[in-house]
Amino acid sequence: MSLEQFKNRNVGTQNYKTLDLDHTPVTGMGQFKQVVSRTFKPELFVGLWVTFREMINALFRGKMHTTQYPFEKLPISPRYRAIHDMLRLLESGHYRCIGCGLCEKICISNCITMDTQYDENQRKEVSEYTINFGRCIFCGYCAEVCPELAIVHGPRYETASEQRASFSLFEDMLTPIDQLNLQQEYQGFGAISPNADENIKKTPLAY
Amino acid sequence: MYEFVAFYIFAIATTILFLITVMSKNVLYSMTSLAAGMVLISGLFFLLGADFLGVVQLIVYVGAVMALYSFAMMFFDATKDVKEKHGNSTLVFLLGGLMALVFVVMFSAPIIGENIQALYPVGLAENLGVSGNAQDVGLVLFTKYLVPFEVAALMLLVAMIAGIILAGKKMDYSLTECEASDEELQKEIKKEEA
Amino acid sequence: MDATHLPEVTAAGVIIKAVLILAVIAAIAGFGTYIERKILAFMQRRYGPQHVGPYGLLQLVADGIKLFTKEDIIPQHANKIIFAVAPVITAATAFIALAAVPVFPDFTIPFIDVYVPSIASDINIGILFVLGMMAAGLYGPLLAGMAQANKWGIIGSARTAIQFLSYEVVTGLSILAPIMMVGSLSFVDFNDYQADGTWLVVYQPVAFILFLIAGFAETNRTPFDLLEHEAEIISGYVTEYSGMRWGLFFIGEYANMITIGVIASVVFLGGYNDFWIFPGWLMIIGKIAFSFFFMLWVRAAWPHVRPDQLMWLCWKVLMPLAVVNVVITGIVIMLVQ
Ligand code: SF4
Ligand code: SF4
Repeated sequence: MSLEQFKNRNVGTQNYKTLDLDHTPVTGMGQFKQVVSRTFKPELFVGLWVTFREMINALFRGKMHTTQYPFEKLPISPRYRAIHDMLRLLESGHYRCIGCGLCEKICISNCITMDTQYDENQRKEVSEYTINFGRCIFCGYCAEVCPELAIVHGPRYETASEQRASFSLFEDMLTPIDQLNLQQEYQGFGAISPNADENIKKTPLAY
Repeated sequence: MYEFVAFYIFAIATTILFLITVMSKNVLYSMTSLAAGMVLISGLFFLLGADFLGVVQLIVYVGAVMALYSFAMMFFDATKDVKEKHGNSTLVFLLGGLMALVFVVMFSAPIIGENIQALYPVGLAENLGVSGNAQDVGLVLFTKYLVPFEVAALMLLVAMIAGIILAGKKMDYSLTECEASDEELQKEIKKEEA
Repeated sequence: MDATHLPEVTAAGVIIKAVLILAVIAAIAGFGTYIERKILAFMQRRYGPQHVGPYGLLQLVADGIKLFTKEDIIPQHANKIIFAVAPVITAATAFIALAAVPVFPDFTIPFIDVYVPSIASDINIGILFVLGMMAAGLYGPLLAGMAQANKWGIIGSARTAIQFLSYEVVTGLSILAPIMMVGSLSFVDFNDYQADGTWLVVYQPVAFILFLIAGFAETNRTPFDLLEHEAEIISGYVTEYSGMRWGLFFIGEYANMITIGVIASVVFLGGYNDFWIFPGWLMIIGKIAFSFFFMLWVRAAWPHVRPDQLMWLCWKVLMPLAVVNVVITGIVIMLVQ
C-alpha cells in the first residue's frame, strides 16, 4: 500500500471543495507583490473598525450581549433535561405514577429506587421513590419510558446545594398541590424553545 | 564626595559580579552577573560625565549578553551546575595570574607616573558652539579616529555577510508552506548541499 | 519658554516629580488592567468587571489583595535566587526608564514656590537612556523563563531573546530619523522642536509606524505577544509564577506600555505643547491615553502572528524600510541645508 493509499484508506468518496486560496508565490517579484498587497490592503483596518463599531454598539446602542445570569435568565428549551419533575393528574390532584417500575428498570445507571405497596383500596401506591442524582446521567430514558407521562424532566438546572437529597425525594419532585394550575405538560420531542424566534439571526459574516 | 562614594560602590560591585562570572559553575549565575556587571560599568561612565558612552554601553552589552544567554540556553541546562574539566590547573593559574599582573602593570603605571590625561576631554565640541556628549563622540570619531572607525564598520559588514551565508543555506525553503513530504525535503536539501 | 528663563531645578522639585511619577504611574499601571478588561469587554459586547465597587472600579483592589495574599510558590528545581529576582528587574527598569521621560510640562507649585521640572532627570541623551533601560528590562522575562526549570519557560525566554533583540534594531533605526531632524537626544528638545504646532509625524510617517510596530513587539502586546502565548506555550515565561511576583511582571508591562505611549507622543505627536485651546498637560494626557487605548484596541482586533512571521516581518520588511527611511531623511536634510 502506498503512502497515498494508506492515508486514504476507509475514506468514502471525497467531494471536498478546496478553497481557491492564493498560491505561495515562487518568484521574487511575486513575493514582493504579495508583501506589498498584504501590507497596504486595508484589511487590518477593517478589523479595527469592526471592533470599534461593536464597542459603540454595545455601549450606546444597547447591544450588550451579556446575560447577567443570576439576575436574569434565558428561557430554556422544553427539551432540556434537568432535575426530574413528578407530575399530578389535573382533575384529582393525585400523582400520576402508577408504580409500574418501568423507569426503575430502564434506568441505565441504576439510580431510581422505588417501592410500592397496596393501599386500603387494594390499589398500588408508591411508598418510596428516590433518584440518586449523584449517579443520574440525565439521559431521559425514564421520562421516555413512562406510560403515564408521570416522570418528566423539569427546567430546574440550578442544582448546587449542600445536600443532593434536597432534590431527590418523591415529595421534592412532585408538583406542589397548590401549584397544580401552574403544572407544565411535557411538550414532546421536537418542541422548540419559547424564545426560538428571537434566536434566529442572520449569520453575521458580512462586514 | 558623592562621586567618590558612588565610584567605590560601582567599582566594588562590578568586581564582585565579574568574580562571580568567572567562579560560578552555574550558567545562569555567571551570565546574570556578567550582565549586571556590564550595566554597573555604564554607571562608571555616567560618573565621568560620559552619558552617551554610558548609555551605549548599556544598550550594546544588554544585547550582547542576551545573545550569550541564547547560546547558554542551547548548550546547558540552566538549572544545573556545569561540570568543568580541569586539565592542568597549575598552568592555568600561572598563565592567568601572569596576564592579570601584566594588565595591572599596564594600566597602573601611567597612573602612578601621574602623567595620564585625556586627549579629548568631555566638552570638546563646545569650542565649535555645539554641546553634548553625542557631539563630542561624533567629533572625535569622524576626525581623529575616522580610519579605525571605517575599518571597524567594514569588518562588521564582512562578519554580517558571513553570518548570513552560514545561516542562510537552507533559507530558500519555507518549511511551513512547503507541501513536499519530509523525506523529499531532506533529499532536496542534501542535493543542495552537495 | 526660553531656556535661560527657567527657574532653577531644586532637589525638592525633582523629588516631587519622582514621587509624582511613581505614584501616578504605579496607580495607572494597576488601573490599566481594569481599563484593559473593560475595553476588551466592550469590544466583545460584554460588560467586564462590574460587581466590585461602582462600575467594578474596586476590582483593582480586590485583585491586589488576591495577588498579595496568594502563596508565593517557587518550584523545587528552579534556580531560586534568579527566579525571585527576575520580576523585580522588569518592574524596576520600567520605572527607571520613566525617570527620564517627560510626563507633564514643568510647573511651579503656587504657594510653596517649588519648581517641578517636566522630567525627573533631564539627561541630554534621554531617548537612548529610556530605550536602553527598556532593553535592560527584557532580562526579566529572559531570566524568569530560564530559571524556572520548565520547558514552556525556556521557550518563552528563547522567544524573549530573539524577539527583543530583533525589534530593538527596528526601534533604534526608526527613531534615528527624527533624531537626525531634531539633532538632539533630549526629550525636551524634541518637544521644543514641535512647539510651532507641526508634529514630527507629518515629516516622518514611516518612522512613526515602524516605531509603533516595534513598540508593540517590545512591550509584548498582541499581535506580538509570543512570549506568553497561551495557546502555544501555556504562559511562557510566567508559567510558574504566582502571587505578587506575577503581578510585578504585569506592573512592568503596563508601565512599559505607558513609556512607549509617552515616547510616541513626545517624539512624534507634538509632545506637551499647547494645542489650540487645550493646555499642554491635557494634550499629553490625551495622547498617552489614546496610545494606551490603541494598544488595547489592537489587542481586541488583530490575531497573533507566528514566530517565524514575526522574524520575517522584522528583518525582511521593517529593518530595510527603516534603513531606507534613515538614508532618505539624511539626503533631504543635506539638500535642505
Ligand atoms: S435520566 Fe436516565 S439516569 Fe437519570 S434517572 Fe432517568 S433513566 Fe436514570
Ligand atoms: S415509569 Fe412512570 S408510572 Fe411507572 S413507576 Fe416510573 S414514574 Fe411511575
